[in-house]
Amino acid sequence: MIGTLATGFGFWNPLMWIIVIVVAIFFSWLLWKLGETNYEGNIWQTAPYLSGNDEPEKEAIHIRAGNMYWGFTKALSVYYDHLIPLHSGIVSDYISWFLIGVVVLFMVVILV
Amino acid sequence: MNQILLAVVGTIFLAIFAIAFGLILSGIDRRIVARMQARVGPPLLQPFTDVQKLLAKQSIIPANAIPCLFNTMPIVALASAITILLYLPFGSFAPVLGEFGDVILILYLLTIPSLALIIGGFASGSPYATIGAQREMVSMIAYELPLTIAVIAIVWRLMIAGIHEPFSILTLMQNPVWSVVGPLGIIALFILLVMMAWVLPGELSKIPFDSPEAETELAGGILVEYSGRNLGLFMLSQAVKMVAISTFGIILLLPWNLSQFFGISGIIAWITDTIIFALKVLFVMTVSVTIIRTTMARFRITQIVGLYWLVLGGLGAIAMILMMVDAFFCEMI
Repeated sequence: MIGTLATGFGFWNPLMWIIVIVVAIFFSWLLWKLGETNYEGNIWQTAPYLSGNDEPEKEAIHIRAGNMYWGFTKALSVYYDHLIPLHSGIVSDYISWFLIGVVVLFMVVILV
Repeated sequence: MNQILLAVVGTIFLAIFAIAFGLILSGIDRRIVARMQARVGPPLLQPFTDVQKLLAKQSIIPANAIPCLFNTMPIVALASAITILLYLPFGSFAPVLGEFGDVILILYLLTIPSLALIIGGFASGSPYATIGAQREMVSMIAYELPLTIAVIAIVWRLMIAGIHEPFSILTLMQNPVWSVVGPLGIIALFILLVMMAWVLPGELSKIPFDSPEAETELAGGILVEYSGRNLGLFMLSQAVKMVAISTFGIILLLPWNLSQFFGISGIIAWITDTIIFALKVLFVMTVSVTIIRTTMARFRITQIVGLYWLVLGGLGAIAMILMMVDAFFCEMI
């Protein structure tokens, strides 16, 4: 069929997937439309649920992008504690690490 | 044209089948959990009643939410979970789109319902939902590693055994990996089986991997602001995803059908294989969801990452090395 992408190992047909997802979205939308639509906006129910507490300022509860992966960085802190100091912000340091990386890569490729 | 028509009809048929089967599985799961806790438990069809009731209730949109994203994501989650089914075989029924996508595509498709949930959580505009969405994102990155290792290890072994198109689902269905490996490969496959058993509850955010929802600390977390039909659709997407991920695990590691052993054919083979398939899904769900969620407490998000990346990632590396050694010795013979 037209549009099948084959890499030699894997394959997929984006056109077929688009047809299927459109049908699936239509089916899901029909189910969604079956639901209750009678809803009055701008009433007390629309306040965010905070266990009865007042809502703090937005800035106070905003999760910054740097904290998005908190669980990940915390769990692998042994690795990150060593990695972060290496990011000195000095370009020559980065080039040195790049050269070391290339040398190691070449050694692995040549030996293996 | 016939293929497109088949895909359209297959989508609707599989959507209805997976929703019904997923909700029944959910009912059985709740029933078994109740019995293990010395309770009677809800009726088997309680999940159907829950969804019916959710569809009849108001769907509140929080004041801080982004309404278009908040309302769209439940639809996207259910629709994307349905599309996964088109690439999977059920019993001796070949996948509807088996020639149009491989296992790598399924790995990608499995992430879409979770991404929809994450976007919906962030769009809720609630601190609890935001923390839940952040945890779901980290959790998703965590379980992708052992899942991918398991898939790659199996496919690589089939490729080394000289099997044509090893990434194809049809190939995995027709060539059980257990039949091409030696003793070391068998050990590796048992390790991969254990890994898959731990990936399944993570994919479904079930205890002990339910920190994105965490009722006792985040009051429902990622879904805290969802109600009515939106929550109902997320429930349905979870039910469909349960069928999809269980089937995927079965195809990778437990692909046998009874008709192959007894040489049955025709309609009796279809019925027998479908019953065996349903029993296999039930077994997989009971072992890796029901029993685990009844006997364990919730992991912290750091423990989830540690388990998936360090413990299961390490086990996966051992399994891959065993596979390579096994392939080396089999090639020598």
